[in-house]
Amino acid sequence: MKKIRILLADDHQLMRKGLRLMLEQQPDLAVAGEAGDGREAVALAKSLKPDVVVMDIGMPNLNGIEAAQQITQSHPEIAVVMLSMHSDESYVLRVLKAGAKGYLLKDSAEADLIKAVHAVAGGKSFFSPAISKILLDDYVRKLKRSGSEDAYDLLTPREREILQLIAEGKSNKDVANLLNLSVYTVETHRSNIMEKLHLRGVPELILYAVRKGIIS
Amino acid sequence: MPASSQKNISRTRAPGEDSQSEEHSRQLGRILFAAFAGLLFLLILGGLNALLSVRKLSGIEQEVNRRFVTHSQALSAIVISVHVYDDQMEQSLLRGQKTADSAKPFDPVTRSAEIHAALLSYPSDEEPDEQLLVQELLQVLTQQENAFAATSSWGPEDRDKRTHLFIGEQLIPQRMRFLQVSQEISLLNRKKLGEEKTALDVNFVNVQTRIQWMVILTLTAGILLSLVTGLYILRLERQGRLRYQALLRGREELEGLSARLLEVQEEERHSISRELHDEVGQTLGALLVDVGQLSKLVPPGDRAIHGQIDSIKSVAERAVKSIRDMALLLRPPMLDDLGLVPALEWQAREVSRRSETEVEIVSENVSEKLSDEIKVCIYRLVQEALNNASTHAAAKNVKVSVIQAAGEISVEVSDDGRGFEPERQRGMGILGMEERVKRLGGTLALQSTPGKGATVKAELPLPSAKSL
Repeated sequence: MKKIRILLADDHQLMRKGLRLMLEQQPDLAVAGEAGDGREAVALAKSLKPDVVVMDIGMPNLNGIEAAQQITQSHPEIAVVMLSMHSDESYVLRVLKAGAKGYLLKDSAEADLIKAVHAVAGGKSFFSPAISKILLDDYVRKLKRSGSEDAYDLLTPREREILQLIAEGKSNKDVANLLNLSVYTVETHRSNIMEKLHLRGVPELILYAVRKGIIS
Repeated sequence: MPASSQKNISRTRAPGEDSQSEEHSRQLGRILFAAFAGLLFLLILGGLNALLSVRKLSGIEQEVNRRFVTHSQALSAIVISVHVYDDQMEQSLLRGQKTADSAKPFDPVTRSAEIHAALLSYPSDEEPDEQLLVQELLQVLTQQENAFAATSSWGPEDRDKRTHLFIGEQLIPQRMRFLQVSQEISLLNRKKLGEEKTALDVNFVNVQTRIQWMVILTLTAGILLSLVTGLYILRLERQGRLRYQALLRGREELEGLSARLLEVQEEERHSISRELHDEVGQTLGALLVDVGQLSKLVPPGDRAIHGQIDSIKSVAERAVKSIRDMALLLRPPMLDDLGLVPALEWQAREVSRRSETEVEIVSENVSEKLSDEIKVCIYRLVQEALNNASTHAAAKNVKVSVIQAAGEISVEVSDDGRGFEPERQRGMGILGMEERVKRLGGTLALQSTPGKGATVKAELPLPSAKSL
């Protein structure tokens, strides 16, 4: 079986050491390289072509967000898991916009890292459970205070299904194949979902899905 | 040279010097007041004196003239009455010579009484010469009366013989004498008038000289006083200007200092935050990973060790959390990582999470490439305003809008809280906001009425637009 090759990017050697230890205990995971800052991470991602990059958000020279953006733009097949201390929506959204597939809080890195690496390597998204909870709390509180209703109830069962698939990282074509629909129909559903939920772009859709607990 | 020494004095003023100079200026005020009062007193005195002297002189002059006129009139009255008396006497004597019963009879008693009355009504002042002359007049008159009385004993032939003799020898000489004496009196009067007029002239010259001296004295005092006052005012003015300049310089320095203070504070916060976050936080993160590894190495059955490990883990997690909170408070990394608007949104959510205040962020055209100074300024301003709104004003809703336009970025934070009186209630927070905004050349406006919420609005020029 082919091992999942991982690039570790963190400016703290101690952290890298710990992460490497953790990952290498898994038989199907291999650490292909280590980078000490964002710029090195981008260079190594290009030369090593790992399957997954596990990257810290705050790094010198080029921060994790910028590095993730550069890596996913030039190599869309590389999945990025972002390690972060921040559980705030702004960060999650920004990281999603940068093209990362996973968002892992450092507090829970130890528990969820293996799961996250496996998930993103399999083409899925992964978010620390704590994130979903915080996002949901903010969302519910906001709804309650503003007195508006959750637009999720406005979605049809088919739209909810498609929402989940898109949030999991599937392309329109994948969704069409899975549900036996035409790509055109999927696109229509997709724009309806966006409009009903007032979302702009896939990152916001993923964030919404995480918030609603549709994906984790 | 004196200007520079003045500067040094005003710069190194001792605390006690203020009260000293105050005492000094009060004393000076008193002196000036006394001087001006003295000058005024001199002026009034001189004026009054001149006025009184002139009035007195003119009174004396009138009196002199009046006296002369009365004396002359009285003398004329005497002379006329004597003349009439003599005339009638002469005629009566002549008439008696021709026809005994002619028209007007001569009435010596009445005429004589008239003369006496005129003589008596002559002013009797203390002039002995004049009185003597008047006495002489009286004597002449008495002689005449006696002489005329003697004629009554004359027979008709006596009368014819003696009348002409009487007239020639008695009446005419007596009349001449009378006229002569009255002439003397008149001369005396005139002389007296001349004497008094001369005395008056001397007096007048005296008064004139006194007024002249008075005027010279007052003028000199006035000139001296105004000279001294003028010089003093000039000195005061120069001192005032120097002090004002020193004040301005001091304020400039203070402003520069407070701006620098803010800058240093921000830098310090930044570096402490980074240190906490990157070093301490990351080290603890690594520790957590290691602890996780450790727990995997321990056999699941060993409860005691697992309990210990869990305890270590929770302590480390608490430390991570508190360090993160501290770092966030000092300097939110999202300001650097994500930009201004996401940082503001984060802050809004933080406030919403912690308090009953719901914060809405609206942004228009806000560039992601704002300078650090502008980002920090707006962020701190919003932070302060949100803090005021949620803790002091107990606002339910706050709206923050950040709008970027050509060459300018504006921030407005409006809440529906208790409000305040912007003229009176200005805490350190608002001062800090003002300081930050002013440093970047912007303006800050506060608008609030108690009970009706508050609005803080800042407008900042964008330096990039200027330099481009």
